[in-house]
Amino acid sequence: MRRYLLLIVALVLVLAGCGGPAQKAEKTQVRWFVGLGAGTDEPTIAAQEEIVKRYNESQDEIELVLEIVPNNQAYQTLATELSGGNAPDVVGPVGIRGRDSFKGAWIDLQPLVEKYQFDLSIFDAPMVDFYRNPGEGLLGLPFAIYPSFLYVNEELFEEAGIPLPPTEYGQPYVDENGKSWPWDMDTVKRIAMKLTVDQNGNDASSPDFDPQNIVQWGFGIQWTDARGIGTLFGPGTFVAPDGGAQIPPHWAEAWKWVYDGMWKSHFYPNGPYGSSDLLKNGDWFSSGRVAMVHCHLWYAGFAEINFKWNVYPVPAYKGKTTAKMHADTFLITKQSKNPDAAFKVLSYLVDDVAGELCAVYGGMPAKKELQGDFLETFFAKRWPGQEFNLKVIQDSIQFADNPNHESWMPSFQEANTRYNQFTDLIFNNPDVDVDAEIQRLKEDLDKIFRAAQQ
Amino acid sequence: MRLWEYRWGLAFIAPWLLGFLIFYLFPMVASFVFSLLDFSLADPGATTFVGFVNWRRAFVEDPEVLASVGRILLFALISLPIGMLFALAVALLLHSRYLLGTRAFRTLFYLPSIVPFVAAVIIWQGVLNEHTGWINLAIEGITGLDVTGTDGIRWLADPRLIYFTYTLIGLWGLGNTIIIFLAGLQGIPIELYEAAQIDGAGPAQRFFSVTLPLITPVVFYNVVIGVIGLMQYFLPPYVINMGSGFPNGMTNFPMIYFYRQAFTYLNMGYGAVIAWIIFFLGLFFTLILFRTSRYWVFYAGGGEES
Amino acid sequence: MREQRLLLRRVVFTLGVAVLAAVYLLPLMYGLSMSLKTRDQIASAKLSILPLSPRTWEYEGRQYDLYEVPVDGEVRILAMMKRGRTSSVFMDPQQPGEQIVWEGNWRTLDRVWKVDPQWSNFAEAWKATKFPVLLKNTVLYAVITTFGTVLSSLLVAYGFARFSFPGKNVLFVVLMSTIILPSAVTSIPTYAMFYFLGWVGTWLPLMVPAFFSNAYNVFLLRQFLMGIPRELDEAARIDGAGPLRTLFQIIAPQATPAIIAVALFHFFFAWNDFFGPLIYLSGKGDLYPISIGLTVFNNMYTSQNHLIQAAALIASVIPLVVFAFAQRVFMQRLIDTGVFK
Repeated sequence: MRRYLLLIVALVLVLAGCGGPAQKAEKTQVRWFVGLGAGTDEPTIAAQEEIVKRYNESQDEIELVLEIVPNNQAYQTLATELSGGNAPDVVGPVGIRGRDSFKGAWIDLQPLVEKYQFDLSIFDAPMVDFYRNPGEGLLGLPFAIYPSFLYVNEELFEEAGIPLPPTEYGQPYVDENGKSWPWDMDTVKRIAMKLTVDQNGNDASSPDFDPQNIVQWGFGIQWTDARGIGTLFGPGTFVAPDGGAQIPPHWAEAWKWVYDGMWKSHFYPNGPYGSSDLLKNGDWFSSGRVAMVHCHLWYAGFAEINFKWNVYPVPAYKGKTTAKMHADTFLITKQSKNPDAAFKVLSYLVDDVAGELCAVYGGMPAKKELQGDFLETFFAKRWPGQEFNLKVIQDSIQFADNPNHESWMPSFQEANTRYNQFTDLIFNNPDVDVDAEIQRLKEDLDKIFRAAQQ
Repeated sequence: MRLWEYRWGLAFIAPWLLGFLIFYLFPMVASFVFSLLDFSLADPGATTFVGFVNWRRAFVEDPEVLASVGRILLFALISLPIGMLFALAVALLLHSRYLLGTRAFRTLFYLPSIVPFVAAVIIWQGVLNEHTGWINLAIEGITGLDVTGTDGIRWLADPRLIYFTYTLIGLWGLGNTIIIFLAGLQGIPIELYEAAQIDGAGPAQRFFSVTLPLITPVVFYNVVIGVIGLMQYFLPPYVINMGSGFPNGMTNFPMIYFYRQAFTYLNMGYGAVIAWIIFFLGLFFTLILFRTSRYWVFYAGGGEES
Repeated sequence: MREQRLLLRRVVFTLGVAVLAAVYLLPLMYGLSMSLKTRDQIASAKLSILPLSPRTWEYEGRQYDLYEVPVDGEVRILAMMKRGRTSSVFMDPQQPGEQIVWEGNWRTLDRVWKVDPQWSNFAEAWKATKFPVLLKNTVLYAVITTFGTVLSSLLVAYGFARFSFPGKNVLFVVLMSTIILPSAVTSIPTYAMFYFLGWVGTWLPLMVPAFFSNAYNVFLLRQFLMGIPRELDEAARIDGAGPLRTLFQIIAPQATPAIIAVALFHFFFAWNDFFGPLIYLSGKGDLYPISIGLTVFNNMYTSQNHLIQAAALIASVIPLVVFAFAQRVFMQRLIDTGVFK
């Protein structure tokens, strides 16, 4: 009976695997799936199609087929294709998050690297090691990195009559009276409150301030989750050394700082404001209503900003700076029918056309020789006629978070769902006992992690 | 004679029977088999047979399943009567002989059902925002009460309001239900009203003794389809909150939980169990409705055997 | 006198329904308003229905916003040259070059607005989605499957409504089961099956099943057919008509509103169908319907809401026309009921 049932599923998979549409040409078909990360934005589509077209014209062994799926449907589509017997071969660009959401779906690239003598020394060795997972091997080759920094609306500082943040890491903040302050969370909070204004023009430090009618905010971390917020105060992980759950104490501090920023000091957009039309439904910085926004390099690739802005260093917490990092890679699926051909395509993407693709997605190339003047070229093309503190972006790389804020946890998505409930709660409710909720979060994550170990 | 009827009956339903055998039977059986497997969509090659482990988990170990069923029943209790009464009321208004410009009004009330879903979601998220949403602004503008902001009406964040908010969103997509009621009303012979009028029946009496009995077949249809739809209620809470269950997990409905297990955690084995629970729940209510229909659904053509 | 009272009642009644319709359609107005704005206009603190832009004044190659500034007891229209928390610098467009320092909080001042609808959103949405291609695919999909499902569902519904055969009730429950079981759980084996048939990447998985009827439509038509007196069938049979002719010549005309309703519902369903085309046509841009085309504006982080609304409006024109046209048949039926025997 049991065998019979298994047989049905096996039959689906096998039939689907060996059946399928007949290959018309003798060319090997390789499907490239885009959707788990960058690459679904309208302006990037044509550029990717162009690269595929050129690849297909350049040789006659492989026919590369591009498949772009809108991000919010990409997970279900990929899952259906993987288990419906019609798996794509190459998937990317994809971050750590997307990769770990499909744990078990990827092949170890190491044997192929050796077989085709792919030269890994074109990347920094730590970058390559970043993609090595114990027990699973080399999942992905480095493609692009996206450091984070502060996007600053200089016009809002000017209106408030407040000096701009320091232009380099390590420098202090000099206030309007000429006094120096360390560029840290306390300083940020103080100036952010002055930059937070209600519709009558009172700022958040004034007793007349009306928190129900705020029109401008001082600080925000755009599009992140609990781990991203925590990492502003320092890197960490939910996974304790014994495999259970822990809450890094500085993460708890970060959450409470943000909670205070939303509901008591009001300099940080809370949930309802943050998703409102006023703040462009989450695209805070380009709304021109948030003075300082912490975000990644990719934002500069597609944001529509029509005011004077520049990039500034991430503030420190207790003397230590952490600028969280995003990294993208390309992967090959286990279900791929032609891993060898897929690897050829993958090496083409991360090596031959890496520079061109990175410019499309707005990422810094992981390939060393392309890094040199990438930022200058990218900004000159994307934001012509403006001067930027590009050294800040370059320097942010050395403050990258380790462990990364997107790194692996047991039962990745379950844990993710649980801590998103926590952020939902604190972003939307003014009267939460944050310490008690953190304790509950820890207990629930502990259960999830320990259940996964069994 | 009977044989003749058998043959013609089967011939008429043959398209469906064939379609069912070709397109539905295998996927339905397969999805039941899934519920007996440890089946990760990310790594289908590693699938193993686990028997009724997933079923036991759903019924014994995982309180979330039962809780989600409770939530959808509560939501259905609120949403179904409000939705049905609203649709029937609108249909009656649109059917009224007092209404001028009937065609224009029918089109207006159907309009929201034509709007593509991507656009509708953006609209609802926009109008329900407590600070900038038009609903709060309109209420404030008309009544003068201060209802905007996080100390005002929190449509999507207030656990006491949330089921009514989703009911409200649901009213917007009722175009089909309204049209079905209308089609039912159109089918009522005018002579019956005339006869009732001669007998001296008032408007209320006419409604309860003529209109309502004659549209019971479409009321029945709308209720059955409404219940089936509610058991699978999914899209609005999924897109508005990314299926996080916000607020307080109150929108963690069974279908949301299925989707999360199957397509977020990629655990199709356990997901299939939840889907089949949704199925049995829907089947249970559908059968009850069919059983009771003989007492309250009136078919002019005779409905003796449903 | 009586006619006047009737007319008055009609006008009052219609006004009441109009108010209800206005409330009901408030969210739609929001979408409409959005489709005529830029992203900045949507984010404007002036949350107006009309697409407003602040009036500006050009001075030495730069644009400055105009404000209504109270100066010496009169309100003057001045351009703001430099904002400040306690005092701002203005300039009178009538006397360029002369700076006016105004003490006070500029946020309490009113701006000067002008109505500035962005009709170009529609052109942009049309172009960016490659609309004509989407339209062709969508029309084909909607028309073909509507024809298929109406025809097959009518046959099946007639079979269930009028004939008795062994296992009929069980079969009807099985029919209903196909919609009671969430289709998401069968999506993977269904996909595997169509992939095995070599249909993935074509319209076949979406079109062919429509010709084998569908439970929603069968159930709805059955409900209406059961409401039609059996004497009609019997009379037709005595006249020598076979069951097929009875269905098409006698019964179907009586069920016109229901048939129209089924056709409309399916047409609109197909018009907006999203997930089916997404997984079966993934990567085949030339075959996409409108519903998928709309997603080019819905990016990972920022969505171009104004363009989505504009494209959605364009996409709704044909369904709207179809609906308005189908109304006529509905109205027709209203008159017919008079001779209903």
